[in-house]
Amino acid sequence: MPSLFVIRGNDQGTRFELAGEIVGVGRDSSNLVQLHDTEASRQHAEIRHAEGSYVIADLNSSNGTFVNGRKVEEHRLASGDQVQIGGTLMLFTRPAEETGEDLTDQISIASDRQTGDESHIIHSLSHAEGSRIFRPEADIPQNSWLARARSNLQVMYRTALAVSHTLDIEQLLHRIMDLIFEWVEADRGCIMLAGAAGESLEPKVRRTRKGVRTGQKITISKTILDYVIQRNEGVLTSDAREDNRWQSGASILQMGIREAICVPMQGRYDMVGVIYIDTSTSPQEVIQKGGATKFTQDHLKLMIAIAHQAALAVEDTRYYSAMVQAERLAAVGQTIATLSHHIKNILQGIRGGSYLIEMGLTEHDESVVSKGWKIVEKNQNKISALVMDMLTFSKEREPELAPANLNQVVSDVVELIESHAADMEVELRWEPAEEMPELVFDPEGIHRAVLNVVTNGIDAACECEKAGRVDVATRYAPDEGKALVVVSDNGPGIPPERLDSLFSPFVSFKSGRGTGLGLPVSQKILTEHGGRILVESTPGEGSRFTLELPAVMPDSARQTIVR
Amino acid sequence: MILGPKRSVLVVDRSEETREVLRTALERRGLRTLAASRARRGLELARQHRPDLIVLDIESEGTNSEETYARFARQSLKNGTALLMLGHLRPSEASLGGEEFIAKPYHFGPLIRRIEELVEATGQTLARCA
Repeated sequence: MPSLFVIRGNDQGTRFELAGEIVGVGRDSSNLVQLHDTEASRQHAEIRHAEGSYVIADLNSSNGTFVNGRKVEEHRLASGDQVQIGGTLMLFTRPAEETGEDLTDQISIASDRQTGDESHIIHSLSHAEGSRIFRPEADIPQNSWLARARSNLQVMYRTALAVSHTLDIEQLLHRIMDLIFEWVEADRGCIMLAGAAGESLEPKVRRTRKGVRTGQKITISKTILDYVIQRNEGVLTSDAREDNRWQSGASILQMGIREAICVPMQGRYDMVGVIYIDTSTSPQEVIQKGGATKFTQDHLKLMIAIAHQAALAVEDTRYYSAMVQAERLAAVGQTIATLSHHIKNILQGIRGGSYLIEMGLTEHDESVVSKGWKIVEKNQNKISALVMDMLTFSKEREPELAPANLNQVVSDVVELIESHAADMEVELRWEPAEEMPELVFDPEGIHRAVLNVVTNGIDAACECEKAGRVDVATRYAPDEGKALVVVSDNGPGIPPERLDSLFSPFVSFKSGRGTGLGLPVSQKILTEHGGRILVESTPGEGSRFTLELPAVMPDSARQTIVR
Repeated sequence: MILGPKRSVLVVDRSEETREVLRTALERRGLRTLAASRARRGLELARQHRPDLIVLDIESEGTNSEETYARFARQSLKNGTALLMLGHLRPSEASLGGEEFIAKPYHFGPLIRRIEELVEATGQTLARCA
């Protein structure tokens, strides 16, 4: 589904899915894309979906609708377009259009034997060797144009490599500057970047050629900078101007020549900054070289190309970090929502219990007081379980290993949860393994792990219309060196797309009844034991969780400790 | 107030504790209570016993809340039963009107007073109809 992702503004991090033929955008709550932005109009714009294309249309808003920095009345949106409304900047994305043909039918990877293809590798080149493609070969006579073109290509290739290797903007800019200095005889250079929100330019990288005085401040003419920014063009400047006022050349001989190149870093959407380099030629050098300049048109062209590459990389990096930040915020929000829901339910229980206690006290009815107290106590246990789960999840801990019987541990869990299952109208069946030797594990940890999985099974089983059932069984598999706890339910099953996030913390699909910690904690405990949890699920039929615990015999554990 | 059959309240809530608290408190106030943990069973009881009021925990129905709400709303319209919801529907889900919502977490004192008022009101309506 196509979406608008807010990358700047009060709603930063929100993703609006554009469902429907007409989607309203504005401040009013009737809009599917509701923006908390005072600069947006109530009904600001709408996005119309027709025949596979999405068109944004401004609805006579006060402040206008902008796409990629241009004001629009109506605009057909393409993936990657930036939509600005008031102070809110959004990124439009849509899944790639279906071509209607399955490419896997047309392209296949097969072993040579199958196809009878006699092709074999005659030469290979490592990724790192790539830039040598453009290196001149010694025995071929060089023409100077060709040599220059080849060297330019090599610079571009290396720029592309440099920008593709890092997601750290500072590091990226340093690499770009290194490259520029390797290739052009500049004395000083700097890269200035505008902030992500389009603030004024700030110097990020400064470089001085060896042997040039470093303390010197780089002064960039404001006229040049403004020209570059406003016209979005790169410039090559020299103070040895060939105009009328340049009569005697006397001042060149006194002052030397100062040349500079300043180019915009134009990205996909915005200008993200400028790159500036300059060089000074001393009066003596001017005489020696007969007035030839160091910077040429070629340098300018190549600088523009490099700056464009760098700008694309800066933009990508910024979007990437905006995405990461937004996802992080969303995860924190999810965590808080799940936890507060759970705590709210506990609070509700405590309030209920307290109400009964108060009533019993007023009416001098001890049975009501004790009923209320039981409820309060139960909820205290719930809070303590939640805190234990949070602690288990948050810190690295070593399991407290002791010889114990898995059947006994699981049996305790079943006993503990029986009344809850009955309450939820779920039948709980328990089938202990006939043979289960005493094994070494952390009984308290495994108790918690099994409890969480069984609770989960009961919750799943009562989601269905049919009578809920949960089967708990243990098995001892000496050949595999494992002991297993198998928990199966006849609930709705787990949709394939949720399997991936099943063990992610704070993701609960139980409509707010879960903490989102149960399964992650179980998995963590099993992992600490060197075991694992396997999940099999058939939507509509139910799920089966298998907790695999390595079977460590008390004797072998003792031997390990002695050694 | 006319004397009639004992007034009844149906409590549909997944939390055993909430059902227990409401049952204890309401029965001491002379009301008959019916309880169900699941919406399905709750609807059966509503059809069979035609209570004066249904207290429904809509929030823990989660993804089914809209459907559950609609079923109960239809049932209570048909029987002239008052409907009191605990928790809230998502903004996208339209309310059919006529029912009340009490946000969670709530205090039991005011909730029980409200239940009594609603039962009282349906009693009066029935008396007028008769």
